Formats: sequence, C-alpha cells, structure tokens
Amino acid sequence: MAPNHSNENGSIGSSLHGVTAREQIFSFSVEDAPWSQAIRSDDPTAKFALPVDSEHRAKVFKPLSFAKPHMRAFHLGWISFFTCFISTFAAAPLVPVIRDNLDLTKTDIGNAGVASVSGAIFSRLAMGAVCDLLGARYGTAFSLMLSAPAVFSMSFVADAGSYLAVRFMIGFCLATFVSCQYWTSVMFTGKIIGLVNGCAGGWGDMGGGVTQLLMPMVFHVIKLTGATPFTAWRFAFFIPGFLQIIMGILVLTLGQDLPDGNLSTLQKSGQVSKDKFSKVFWFAVKNYRTWILFVLYGFSMGVELTINNVISGYFYDRFNLTLHTAGIVAASFGMANFFARPFGGYASDVAARLFGMRGRLWTLWILQTVGALFCIWLGRASSLPIAILAMMLFSVGTQAACGALFGVAPFVSRRSLGLISGLTGAGGNFGSGVTQLLFFSSSRFSTAEGLSLMGVMAVVCTIPVAFIHFPQWGSMFLRPSRHEERSKEEHYYGGEWTEEEKSLGLHEGSIKFAENSRSERGRKAVLADIPTPETGSPAHV
Amino acid sequence: MAIHKILFASLLICLLIQSSHGATKERLFSDLEKSALEVTATPSRVGEGVVLAAGIDKLSITWKVSSTATKEPEFKAIKVKLCYAPASQVDRPWRKTENELFKDKSCPHKISSWSYDPAVKTAQSFDYTLERDIPTGTYFVRAYAVDAKDHEVAFGQSTNEDKTTNLFSVQAISGRHKSLDIASVCFSVFSVLALLVFFVNEKRKAKIEQSK
Repeated sequence: MAPNHSNENGSIGSSLHGVTAREQIFSFSVEDAPWSQAIRSDDPTAKFALPVDSEHRAKVFKPLSFAKPHMRAFHLGWISFFTCFISTFAAAPLVPVIRDNLDLTKTDIGNAGVASVSGAIFSRLAMGAVCDLLGARYGTAFSLMLSAPAVFSMSFVADAGSYLAVRFMIGFCLATFVSCQYWTSVMFTGKIIGLVNGCAGGWGDMGGGVTQLLMPMVFHVIKLTGATPFTAWRFAFFIPGFLQIIMGILVLTLGQDLPDGNLSTLQKSGQVSKDKFSKVFWFAVKNYRTWILFVLYGFSMGVELTINNVISGYFYDRFNLTLHTAGIVAASFGMANFFARPFGGYASDVAARLFGMRGRLWTLWILQTVGALFCIWLGRASSLPIAILAMMLFSVGTQAACGALFGVAPFVSRRSLGLISGLTGAGGNFGSGVTQLLFFSSSRFSTAEGLSLMGVMAVVCTIPVAFIHFPQWGSMFLRPSRHEERSKEEHYYGGEWTEEEKSLGLHEGSIKFAENSRSERGRKAVLADIPTPETGSPAHV
Repeated sequence: MAIHKILFASLLICLLIQSSHGATKERLFSDLEKSALEVTATPSRVGEGVVLAAGIDKLSITWKVSSTATKEPEFKAIKVKLCYAPASQVDRPWRKTENELFKDKSCPHKISSWSYDPAVKTAQSFDYTLERDIPTGTYFVRAYAVDAKDHEVAFGQSTNEDKTTNLFSVQAISGRHKSLDIASVCFSVFSVLALLVFFVNEKRKAKIEQSK
C-alpha cells in the first residue's frame, strides 16, 4: 500500500491533486480499470449524471442542468460570486445620493472606490489556501456570510472615513471568485475548463452590471414607502445582505466540495492527500508566468472593476442622465459579461484546438488590446450614442480577455493551481486599485481623460503576454523547445516536485494532468507519438 | 444575445430623442439680466458659526422686482432656488458652475415657483423649511425670472456677484435610524452564527464518520 502520508493533519493541502491519492497507472481511459475498484469499493463512476474522466471531473458542460455534484457546484459557485459582485458595487449607482448625505468630495469617492477593490487582494490570496484546507464550499460560505455584516453596516455610516472602511470590508467578499473557479476546476475536465470557467466567471461578473439596475430600483421603491433619500439608500443595502446570507446557506446545504464527496469526509478517510503550503506557495511565486498573469488580469478585470465603480457616475454627470438611465447604461457594461467572458474562454479553447497554447496566448493578447483601444475611444466620445457604442465594444473585448486568461492559467502550474488562481485574481483587484488611484481619485484628470489614459495603460500592460513561454508548447513568437526532455509536458509539471517527493509518488496527480494536457499542442497532438511517462514509477501495480 | 441587442437599440433610440431636445442648449447665464430681482434670505437662526438643521430650520425669503429691470414685460414666473456657494463646490465637479444654463449644476434645489403678476409691485415673502434631502454645505438663494417659453431671462440672488456675502450653512440629516441599526445588528449576528453552526455540526459529523 502507498505510505500513509495522506493522513497528516494540520498541513495545508495542495490544490487539485487528483481526487484519489492512490492512482498509480496512467493510461487514457481508466473508468473500468480493475485497480480503481480494488481501492474504493463504493466508487462506481456510473453514479454520476454526466460523463466523467478518471478524476471524476465532468467531461461535458450542461448549463441548464442542476445535477449533483458537477452542475450544482457550477451554479452555486457562479451565483455566489454574482451575489458578491452585487454587494461590492452596490454603492456605485447610489453615489449621487450618498455623496450628498455624507458630504463627500471626489477624492473621498475615488478613495472609497479603491478601498472597495483592495480588500479582495488579500482575501483572494488567502482563499486559495482556505479552499485547500476547508474545501470550496466553506471557502464560499465564509466569504458570503462573514462579509454580510459589513453590507448591513452601511446603515451606520456617517462620514467619508466610515464609508471607506465599510466599502473596504465589503470588498473582501470578492474572494468568492477564487473559490468559484477552484470549485469548477475540480468539477470539470481540462478540455472544457476554458468555457466552464468563462461562464462561471462571466455570469458572476454580471453582478456588477445587475447591481447598477437593482440598487436604484430598490432605492426608488423604498422612497415610495415614504423614507427620505438619505435613509432609503441605507435600507437598500439590506437586499444584497439578505442575498448573501441566503446563498451562503444554499451553498452549505446543497453543495459538495469534490465529485466524490465533501472534503472533510474524504480527507479523514485518506482519499485526498495534503501538500505543504510552503511548497505550494514557493512554486507559485517562483514561476514568472504567475506574475505576468497578475499584471495582465490587473488590466482586464482590473479595468472592468474600475468601470463598475465609475461608469454610472460618469454617464450621470457628463451626459446629464437621470439616476435610473445612468444605471441602465452602466448595467449594459456589466451584463455583456453574460456572453463576452464565456466567449473568451471558448475562443481560447478553440484556438488551443487549432494552434495549441500559442493560440491561447494570441487570443488573449488580441482581445485585451482591442478592448483597451475601445476604452480610449470611450473617454474621447462626446456624444452619448458614440459613448455607449464605444463602451459596449470595450466591454466585450475586456471581458472576453478575462475569459481567455483563465484558459491559460490552469496550465501554468498543477501543484499550485489554487494559489495561482488566487494570485491572478488578486492581480485583478490590484490593477483596479491602481487605475482608480491614478486616474479617478483626484481632480487632476476629468473622468473622461481618466478613461482614455486607463486604456493606454492597459494596452501597454498587455504586452508582457508575449513573454509567457512554455518549453513544451512555445510562446507567441517562439517555437517549443526541441530538447528531448524539456519538450515533454511531464518534465514541466514534474519539475514542481523534488526527487524525494517523486519517490513517494506524491507527483502522480501532476503526471496525470500532464498527460491530459497534451491537447495544448494543438493539431500536432493528434499526430504526435504519445510517449510512455518515464516518471510514472508506480509504487504498486 | 438577441435581448441584448434589443436593449442596446432601444437605449440608443431613447437617448437620441433625449439629446435632440437641444434647441435651448446655447442659452448662457451671462446673457441673463443681473440684479433684475432683489432677493433676501434670512435664516431662522443667525449668528457667527450657526449651522442650520435640514428639516427643522427655516429661511425667510423675500423677492422683489428691481426698478431697474428692463426685461420685466417678459416675466411670466419667478423660480426660487437654493444654490451652492463656492466653498461647497471645491473638489465636487457635479456641483460645478457652468455658463451654459443647461449644463449648470450649481442650483439644483428648487425652493418654490410663483407666477408673476405685473400689477403687484411690492416685495413678496414666504417661509421655506429646509428640506430633508438638502446636503451639508454653504448656500445662497437665487431667483430666476422665466418667460412664457420657460426660459430664464433675468435673475437676482441673496449674495453678491462673487458669492461671498450673506451665505448660510446647512447640516444635513444623518439618514440613520435606530430601527435600521438594530435590524442591521440582528441580521449580521444571524449570518455569523448560522455559519458557525453549520461548521461545527459538520466537523462533528466527520469525526463520528472517522471513528466508525
């Protein structure tokens, strides 16, 4: 039997090892392999509603289904994330009322906007570890239910300082992005992960658009009951607060961490191994690609978050629209996520099928640069119809880029996938904080100028994607390595484990993943010989 | 996606209609007749550093057509508004003073509107209780005289041209309510407790599973 390293308590788990720590043989279709039945007698793969791979991750994506556990996890994940987006940006469409109640200046509003996205930098980093430790369900539920008090506490806010503090604390809940992507990554197989993550991320991001419609509407209804505006906006925040609590309870009661069960049950029965956090962290931080993705996401998602904060006020002030109409326009930006981000993920998957990883990188660069160019145009548009057109094209480009980026991220590391998701997500918030601070927090630039300058900065900061190079797949301009060893996926993913760890068989999940990732060679994968994995030394056969 | 296209198209149409209301866009503030009206605004409480409370304190406003007013025959109505003093416009571009009347945002709060009777030559006065949605700031009062087309033709204000004299400060209501505060605390506590209950419960169940 394999050594009982998997029963260590206290050490933080690794992200996304194979669900079963005991897989030893790596052939392609293992659903009826005899050894899997010997190890877990209660493990018939036929019990899943969707076809699954050897890690019990679903191979197809059926958005209209709520089947346990895969599709249910998908829906709970994206709706939780959606709810958190609603809460984080709930203040933005009501700023014209809030700024009068609290006597805010443009600087105060800008700083609060920065604060609203900054909290998540830290919480997204921590969330990767929390998911490893407690599972995606608790990661999501913690995020939702511990930040709900912050949402309710808008009723106490009396000045600029407390407003900033509350928006900062509400912003922590954006960590649900990481738990949502983590949850879908354990539930769905690599070939469709671009599309699935794109849908989950995109539909969640729509919350930033929906809130621009929802909050003015709720505010209006509360005013109709006789409340003054300065009380009505406070009460309006109760709606996102309720939504968070409800979603938290649903996640805990209906959700499941992994295809085979909940994390605590699986860990205690020894079926999921744990990894050392320090190793996971080191391999994430050491990999330069992580940091390039950090910057890239900062200027796709970061730009999107900034726009969620400023666009409603921009249309209200510059084009003299009513609160309601400005909200509709602002909502259109966020709602484009419904198809734009999944489209980006899908485009990435299609490009990968044809050109492999190079296709994914080019797709990412093109989408993000085009989006940024339209952002420049938006700032320069002085008539309302042109501004709306520019905004819509900008939204599609930028949001598709977000989807395409998460078609690349799962391949950067296998051992540290959770942490890399977290770091990339944090990069999004970091980029948003930087752009709001530079361009929207002082009277130095008008909002219109700020938008154009942000677009320019985004174009420049998208160039680093050309430097992402995988030895086995190449990069935007360079071919894959022709070196005997380095051109194999196993070498890249196996390189994250020391020889000692390999001798204990800890790396086997990575090797499994390396085999499945051969599809990133593009059309050549079909023609290439499939080498037998030299590093797959089974401890027992 | 089809719904999205329809939304976008209807939005474009609505806004094109809105923007085509533009025949009056070029009317400028500098074209209006200055000091055609004599306006005074006296707060119910005066003194050094007195701040009026919105919803409670009153202004006693009087307006009278000045004898030097040349556009007087065109006056059809008088609109009295509460305007921001320069101190309240700093770092707040949404309250900016603009020369184009349709863009000007320095006088957003309507006090009242009176139809103009040319036969009455004496000063009109009335009391105005500061509304509960007036933000904190420094203000003065301005009265616009509008013609039959509802276009401003003249104005008068309670302060001088540089807007430095006779200003008064208002403190807005906080908008907070005890019942809101209590409800907020209750729901917050419920949220945290519910999470803890679930967590502890599941840990207990897992331990039981393991000991089996």
